[in-house]
Amino acid sequence: MRALFPYLLVAPAVTYLLSITLYPGIYAIYQSFFLVRFNEWIPVGTDNYVELFADTEFWGALLNTLIIGGIALAVECLLALVLAYFAYRDPFIRGWRIVFLMPMLFMPSAVAFLWKLAFNDGRVISDLLMRLGLISQNIDFLGSVPLARLTLIVADVWQWTPFLFIIFVAALQGQDQEIEEAARLDGARWPQIFWNISLPMMRPVIAVAVILRGIDITTMFTNVYIMTNGTPGGTTETISYFIYRQGFRTFNFGYASAAAVIMLIITVVSAQLIVKRAFRSGRA
Amino acid sequence: MASIHLDNVVKRYGAFVGVKEMNLQIADEEFLVLLGPSGCGKTTTMRMIAGLEEPSEGDIRIASEVVNGLDARDRDVAMVFQGYALYPNMSIYENIRFPLRMRGVPKNQQDALIRRAADMVELGDFLDRKPAALSGGQRQRAALARAVVRQPQVFLMDEPLSNLDAKLRASMRVQIKHLQRKLRITTVYVTHDQIEAMTLADRIVVMSRGEIQQVGTPDEIYSDPANTFVAGFIGSPPMNLIEGQVHSGRFIAPGIDIAAPGHMHGNVTLGFRPEDCGIAPDGQAGLTGTVYGIEPTGDSTFLTILAGDKQVEVKAPRDFRAPLDSCASIALDPARLYFFDSATGQRMRSTQ
Repeated sequence: MRALFPYLLVAPAVTYLLSITLYPGIYAIYQSFFLVRFNEWIPVGTDNYVELFADTEFWGALLNTLIIGGIALAVECLLALVLAYFAYRDPFIRGWRIVFLMPMLFMPSAVAFLWKLAFNDGRVISDLLMRLGLISQNIDFLGSVPLARLTLIVADVWQWTPFLFIIFVAALQGQDQEIEEAARLDGARWPQIFWNISLPMMRPVIAVAVILRGIDITTMFTNVYIMTNGTPGGTTETISYFIYRQGFRTFNFGYASAAAVIMLIITVVSAQLIVKRAFRSGRA
Repeated sequence: MASIHLDNVVKRYGAFVGVKEMNLQIADEEFLVLLGPSGCGKTTTMRMIAGLEEPSEGDIRIASEVVNGLDARDRDVAMVFQGYALYPNMSIYENIRFPLRMRGVPKNQQDALIRRAADMVELGDFLDRKPAALSGGQRQRAALARAVVRQPQVFLMDEPLSNLDAKLRASMRVQIKHLQRKLRITTVYVTHDQIEAMTLADRIVVMSRGEIQQVGTPDEIYSDPANTFVAGFIGSPPMNLIEGQVHSGRFIAPGIDIAAPGHMHGNVTLGFRPEDCGIAPDGQAGLTGTVYGIEPTGDSTFLTILAGDKQVEVKAPRDFRAPLDSCASIALDPARLYFFDSATGQRMRSTQ
């Protein structure tokens, strides 16, 4: 009985985790080998995968995810690093970092609607730019590929830069202050200290942050669903939106599952690569 | 090479005064040790010289130039930190090179300087390693090399040996002193270890609660302490301090009755070092008590005697042994007695 007790204690958490991650995961893998017509499951072997590899829409969605997510992630990292660099030595940071956190606290769908209003339906951004005299007529953000992608990037950057900012500030504040002081006495200016010492020391933290954000960004769905619906011409359709469309619009569940499995493999492998790289050479 | 002057330097943190009205002159090429218990203001004083903290009042001059408000990077001082503060992402070579790179030393001169500094601390074979791949002593030497490589005007060391084991500390001590003599760089060294202070310093500054207690050569600090704090801080074991009364030329305390200089009376603290007294033949004792403990150390035996409720340390010959609680008689060397005012702790010197 005594030996069983620890297992009893972790059982609820394990059950919960297994039921919401492992079971659906295995279910999706299983389903990906079938042609699913609601109650009728026809085994098709690897047909779904073969079809998927020839599907230009799938590859297009993958590319869109890479472009939109990649740019958004890079901008977020850069912005967060610059903000963290200026903020971490501020003694009042504790007081006002809540301001930075606020975009993260809003409901993602509400934020998506706000940006939809600002860019498209409400034309708030066009109106502002017109009043500033920068443009002469409304911009149709959904009328051009780069602009449509830009709206998604801006929305993501606005909401998620604070997440990285908080992590980076914590990392910088956690660094040994003696090392910074040694660098000052060695004649380094603040930008040099940051570039030569603080930043390299942050490598593992940056890697973890990029992985967390990266995983999140590859599943970008809410903003696409609400703001662009993949328009124009599917150029803003992300993988998540593609899977959703296959599964819940055309009810091609087996096909959607196969896409989800491939996405999972890509995510796990790339995360593994980043972790390996960052931690191997980051270790002093 | 430079002298350092501190003129009425005060450091406040809100209402707390870290350093009080400090005046100190450090001569060119001098090895000065700031000694005191933790929280005495010694590190704060050093950090103000380094430029890592600004004094609340007063001036600091390096080479007769006022450096208040001058950033640490512009003061031409090098510092060795307690935790070494090596850059973990760089090799030892890059660590030593960093100050040269930051100060724009021409690339073709860098390599020779780095190798010379590394050879000085015998780290020539470890230049490719990262700090994490070095032992504590090697990291300490790497930090030293990084500090000497650009020949600064002033060398600051903040408890550089406190993370090392006792044996390594002793050998590093010799190395630091040798290096300082060879390079002839003005050095300020902070420590709470009085052995380090005694062995390294040209002059020692004993500090307590933000105030200088005494400034002097190790000999002066040891044999002529200014007050009970200095007397009780220096020496291992430190000076015995016994509170008592002086009445008509006799110092009286439990177990002690000895002659005192004529001009004293009232509450007086008697001080004497363990090595300035010995086991007395019967009837000649200045101090009597019972044996509380015996600690043989090899070259001598330390005897703890209970006189009244006061423990007194006595250095006895190496083969001295006595049963616990037996009576002990101790003879005091009248020439090596120190008297302090019990109220102020200040030394009462003979007027003649």
